[in-house]
Amino acid sequence: MLIVKLAFRNILRNCRRSLLTLLSMGGGFFLLCLTLSMSEGSYSNIINIFTQDHTGHVQIHKENYLERPSLYKTINHADEIITQLEQQPLVLGVAPRIYSPSLAYGKNKTFPAQVIGIDPDREAKTTRLENKISEGHFLTSEVINQVTNLDGNQISTDGYFPAMVGFTLAKNLQLTIGDELVLISQGIDGSIANDIFEVVAIVGDVGSYERMNVYIHLSAMREFLSMQGDTSKVHELAIILSSQSEARKFAVNTQLALKNKSLSVDPWQVVESSFYKSMQADKKGSYVSMGIIIFIVSIGVLNTILMGTLERTREFGVLKAIGTRPVAVFTLIMLESFVLAIISCLIGLALALPVCFWLAGVGISMPEPIDMGGIIFDTMLGEVSWFVVLLPSIVVISSTLIVSFIPAIRAAKISPLKALQAV
Amino acid sequence: MITQVDIVGAPNKVIASQNTIIETTHLCREFGQGDTLVKALTDANIIIERGEFTAIIGPSGSGKSTLLQLIGGLDNPSSGDVFLDNKNINHMTGTELSDFRRDHIGFIFQAYNLIPVLSARENIEYIMLLQGVPAAERNKRVDRLMHAVGLEGLGDRRPAELSGGQQQRVAVARAMVSKPSIILADEPTANLDSKTGADLLDMMKELNEKQNMTFVFSTHDPKIMERAKRIIRLVDGCIVDDERRS
Repeated sequence: MLIVKLAFRNILRNCRRSLLTLLSMGGGFFLLCLTLSMSEGSYSNIINIFTQDHTGHVQIHKENYLERPSLYKTINHADEIITQLEQQPLVLGVAPRIYSPSLAYGKNKTFPAQVIGIDPDREAKTTRLENKISEGHFLTSEVINQVTNLDGNQISTDGYFPAMVGFTLAKNLQLTIGDELVLISQGIDGSIANDIFEVVAIVGDVGSYERMNVYIHLSAMREFLSMQGDTSKVHELAIILSSQSEARKFAVNTQLALKNKSLSVDPWQVVESSFYKSMQADKKGSYVSMGIIIFIVSIGVLNTILMGTLERTREFGVLKAIGTRPVAVFTLIMLESFVLAIISCLIGLALALPVCFWLAGVGISMPEPIDMGGIIFDTMLGEVSWFVVLLPSIVVISSTLIVSFIPAIRAAKISPLKALQAV
Repeated sequence: MITQVDIVGAPNKVIASQNTIIETTHLCREFGQGDTLVKALTDANIIIERGEFTAIIGPSGSGKSTLLQLIGGLDNPSSGDVFLDNKNINHMTGTELSDFRRDHIGFIFQAYNLIPVLSARENIEYIMLLQGVPAAERNKRVDRLMHAVGLEGLGDRRPAELSGGQQQRVAVARAMVSKPSIILADEPTANLDSKTGADLLDMMKELNEKQNMTFVFSTHDPKIMERAKRIIRLVDGCIVDDERRS
C-alpha cells in the first residue's frame, strides 16, 4: 500500500506533465483503436460478403478442383455428405453446386458467363442469393411452366428452364425478365451442351459478385450438361457455419470425418486464398502504421519517465539510504508507469468508443468505390469488439512498461550516495 | 575534563569489545586514478562504543562525510572494512544492506532529505511501514516522537510547508523511529539558525542519554563539539586526533 500511495502521489506531484503524458498515451490508444476498428471492420465486412454471398465458410471439392477446375472433378454421393454435415450443430446450411463456364447469348450479343447449378432451397439457407434478387423472383421450381410471376400469374408454359442472370450480364445481353437466354457449353459426355432458358430474375447489382453469373436449378444443370444419370454428383459443397472463426477447425475435423482422401475440405481462407493473402498483407501494413504510433507514444512516455526519475534521483537516494530495497524502488517506478498507462487507456477508450460505434453503424463513404476480389465497396465500416479494445490496451500498457524498465532498473541500481549527491 | 587517547592505527591493534557498535579497520576511500587520484580517507581505524555521542570534525574536504558515508554503508571503501554490530557491511548484498540500514541505522542529512510527497507524519512512519510494524504501534511511536521533537499539530503538513528547523526535526524523528542502534548525522545543524540548532542538539543529546542511542556527527558546529563525548579530528583524510571527554 505504501508503494501504491507513493506512486499515486508522485503522479499527482507534477499534474501538468502527467496530464500531457496521459493525453499522449491516450491519443496513441485512440489512434490504435481507430486503426484496428477500421481494419477489422472493413475486413469483417468483406469476409461476410464473401462468405455469406457465395463462398460459405467451408467448401468441399474433389481434390485439386480449386487449383484446376474441371467438369469431371465431381463429388460423388454428395447427398450422403450433405446429410452427414447437416447433423452437425455448427452447420447452418449446405449448398451443392455444379459449375460450367459457358457462352451466353441473348438479343444478338454473346458474353462469357459462369453458369451455376444450385439447389434453390439449400442455397437460400446457405447464402444471401435470394435476398439479392433485384428483379423477378428466386428460383422456386425446376421448370418455367410451374413458375408464377410476382402477381401470381403464370409467366410461361414453354417448358424452358428458368434462369437467374447477374445484373451486368443481363445488361450486356440486354435481357429483361421473360427474355430467352441461350447457353452453350460442353457436356460431360463431350457433346456440345446448349439450351434455351428463360430469365426469371436479375441478381445483384453492378458491384455484386454474381454480376456475370447465371443460376439455374441443379436438375436443369444436370440435363444441360448431360449428367442426368449422376444425380448425386456436384462440383462443390458450400457450408455456412454459425461462427466464422470456427472455419479452419471445422474444415480439419470434417476432412478427418469424411475419410475420403479424394475430397478436399477447405476453409474460406484457402478457397479465397488470393483475397486472404492480400488481406493479410494489408493487415501487416496496418501493423506497421500501428508500430509507428506505438513508437512515437513510447518515446513520449520514455521521455516523461526519464525526466521523472532523473529529477527524483536524490529522492531515490534518500529512499534507499533509509532502507528501501532496490526492488521496491523498481516496483515504485513501474507502478507509476502502469497507473499512467491504465488511466490513459481509459481516456483513450472514452474517446475511441463513440467514434468506433459511429464507424460501425454509419461508416465512411469512399469518394470512389474500390474493387476487392471482384466485390465493389463504397463504404468503410468500423468494428467494435474485444479485440479492437484489448489489443491497444495491451500494446499501450506493455510498451509503457517496456520503456519504463530501463529508468526503473537505473533507479533501483543507483548507489544511494551518488543519488544523494545528484543536483 | 578532556582526555587524550591513542589513535588506533595498525590493524592488529584494533580490538573490539562486546560494547563496540562501530569498528572500521584500515578504511580507505580513493576517488579517481592516476594523476587525478584523490585520497579522501586513509587508513581509518575507529572503534565506537554503544551509546557514544561522537563528533567527527575537520576542515572541508578532510573526509568527515566520506567516513560517515562509509560507516552508513552508503558508499563502498577502496580498502578496509566496516563492522556494525560485529557484521561486516562491505560483504552484504544490496538488499541485505538496505535491510541492515533500515533496521540498524538512522540517517540525518544536512539537507533534511524528506520525501516531498509524504506528510511529516508519513515521513516518520515510512521506515516502520518497510519494517512491517503494526498500525497501532506505528501510530503510538509517531505520536510519541512528534511530541518529543515538538511537532505536534504539524503531522499533516508536507515538507514544503515546514520551516528548515521543523523539517530537520522530522528528519530526526524519522531517524529514530525505527529504534536504530546508530544514528549518523551529516552536519545536521548546518542549515539551521543557532537557536534551532541548539534546541535540536539538546533534544538529540537527551535521546542519547535516555535511550543509549549511538550518535555519530560529522560537523563544523561548535555547539555539537561542546556536547560531544568524543571528538575525532580528521585532516586530509587521516585521523589526527581522537579525544574522549568525561
